[in-house]
Amino acid sequence: MTVVPQSNSTAGGSGSGNLYDVLELILDRGLVIDAFVRVSLVGIEILKIDVRVVVASVDTYLRFAEACNRLDLESGRKAPTQLTDIVGEATESGAKGKSKGALTGAVEALSDSLQRAGDSEPEEQPERRSTASSSRRTSRRRED
Amino acid sequence: MSTYIYAITSADHPLRLKGIKGVGDPASELRALGTQALSAVVSDAPAGLRAKRRDLVAHQDVLERLLADGAVLPMRFGLVAPDDEQVLTALDDQRDAYLERLKELEGCLEFNLKASRDEDDLLREIIAESEEARQLNEFTRENPDARNQKIALGELLSREIQHRNSVQAQHIVDRLASLTVRQHAAEQQDSNFLNVSFLVRRENMESFSRAVREEADRRGPAYSLSLHGPLPPYSFV
Repeated sequence: MTVVPQSNSTAGGSGSGNLYDVLELILDRGLVIDAFVRVSLVGIEILKIDVRVVVASVDTYLRFAEACNRLDLESGRKAPTQLTDIVGEATESGAKGKSKGALTGAVEALSDSLQRAGDSEPEEQPERRSTASSSRRTSRRRED
Repeated sequence: MSTYIYAITSADHPLRLKGIKGVGDPASELRALGTQALSAVVSDAPAGLRAKRRDLVAHQDVLERLLADGAVLPMRFGLVAPDDEQVLTALDDQRDAYLERLKELEGCLEFNLKASRDEDDLLREIIAESEEARQLNEFTRENPDARNQKIALGELLSREIQHRNSVQAQHIVDRLASLTVRQHAAEQQDSNFLNVSFLVRRENMESFSRAVREEADRRGPAYSLSLHGPLPPYSFV
């Protein structure tokens, strides 16, 4: 919980940081000049897996229903209460523990971004995370 | 040889490019093309350019370097002009529009915030608060073959999830909006219920990221907030 962006990110670093998380910005946003072309970017299809989460489909409904059926409602309800108790008893450490869980990604991201640089980047495509949530990100249409 | 374009800046930008290289393998040399009002940072466009990690990082690094010294219009990755001359023509043609945008972006940086929530946590909340969902859940647990009720449950959950997520997304944006200049939300959502870029003034950077952290603390471990920045203002050009 100590990383705050101090200033602009120009320092040297490992380059292995959070590229995946800003990929959509680099590839889909940014200025284009109509008269010019974008190079045909072979490989982007691999990077940008289309999100096929069709929310309104029977498959999705069944999945939600089954996830809900499997849910342990009792233990789930206890957990937050416990946490609240801890926070109530020892605000300082309780709050720290809590925020640690919630913001790990952000802290890493900030430090990565602040230290990013470009001289030792590995060869592989920037698809590095493997959780469902990350690998299914980035869905906006590719530039035609 | 065609020309790869990284960024457009005003002519008085110092363009300190020493020590960094462009896209391609071997990495291309960066150079500046200037008109009276504007500069474009370019390199030769490598043949067979692909969105390789190395190239994306190179593109991003050039922009971050430039961003340290002043406003930048970041180009989208992969933009190639037929030659230098036509880049200069484009700078002249769009001179006023580019200058105006640079002025708007002066002193501003982009931060991208993504937020997701543990699905079980959200489902528990729905079950706790919706009598209908609770009944359907109990019924389908006891009658695993009751397909219609399962679908009804799922449809209800899906509707609730969307609604609750969009309410939370709006709460987060509202809490942070006062520290930002503008927002740009992604059109399509995935497992993140929020994916939004903020344009933040440099002097507000610390208070903004502190506010994000406080928001994450307040929401606890069921939520995951992921903040990326400072970035070139990709979403605001």
